[in-house]
Amino acid sequence: MIKKRNPDEFLPLTPAMFHILLALADRERHGYEIMREVAERTEGKVRLGPGTLYGSIKRMLNDDLIEELDERPDPELDDERRRYYRLTKLGHRVAVAEAERLAQLVKAARAEKLLSAQKVQS
Amino acid sequence: MRETASLSCRVYRLLLAAYPAEFRREYGSSMLQVFRDSSRAAKTSEGKLATGKFWLAILGDLVVSASKQHIENVREVNGPMNNMRRDLLAVMGCSVIILTAFLLLSYGRAHEVGSLLVFGRVLDAVVFTGVVGNLIVFLLVKLTRWDSFRIACWIFLVVSALPALLLALIGSRIDPQFRLGATMLAYVVSFIFWILLHYLWRSTSRNVLASS
Repeated sequence: MIKKRNPDEFLPLTPAMFHILLALADRERHGYEIMREVAERTEGKVRLGPGTLYGSIKRMLNDDLIEELDERPDPELDDERRRYYRLTKLGHRVAVAEAERLAQLVKAARAEKLLSAQKVQS
Repeated sequence: MRETASLSCRVYRLLLAAYPAEFRREYGSSMLQVFRDSSRAAKTSEGKLATGKFWLAILGDLVVSASKQHIENVREVNGPMNNMRRDLLAVMGCSVIILTAFLLLSYGRAHEVGSLLVFGRVLDAVVFTGVVGNLIVFLLVKLTRWDSFRIACWIFLVVSALPALLLALIGSRIDPQFRLGATMLAYVVSFIFWILLHYLWRSTSRNVLASS
């Protein structure tokens, strides 16, 4: 019997895992590219170290949220030792589920006027 | 600059020994490459102070992530073994209960022990629903991802209601001394007994998981 996994089983994701899924949402990337994308996206507030990055990658590969590419997208442009990763269908569904969960939280915060209060302060 | 970079890489390569060997074999070279790229970027873009900040972040990351990997390693080794032990314990527990009920019933019938035969119908129901119900529950728990307690509730409801209904329909035709009320009560008691056991089993499992 094939077991179709429910994305909610994986929630809530760790911040590192969600950032990695976001970084891989548009295209495949190698480790350092993921790290740079996360730093750029968060304006330097989140910097994944190599241990956190590959620890999360290992876990996400085990959970089938991402997969490693057999071939490099641009073999001539980069180092052949680089390993590229991309989202799986399950990974995409989990990213959507986590984004929706966070959107609900933001909605709740907005309803409690926590977001507008922050805007007034700034 | 290149010498400093290679020295940093050599130091980081040594620090990688803090990770479990399997993790190091799989990701060590990728981590070293990411470290090399990050180290280069930190030096070119953030000035002299950057090296100190960079190393502080790297060491923090190393301590936290290496500890996590060691903990995960221990869990990966113990996890399947604990599951097997728990499965074995559950099967053995059910078998002991069913066997005890069966032996009590047989002894009561053979020696006409009135005090045991008072519970005869309940013991009968416990044995029948226990064997059939637990077998189906066990298979469904292994083959699906549904909640085990929910499975147990539905399966025991079916395996208790069906024979009770069947006996209600044909019991008096087979046995003139058949008592409908006592039989229904026996299956209700048996249902509650098994559901209670499954509920207790799930509660203890959750406590064990939470504490591990």
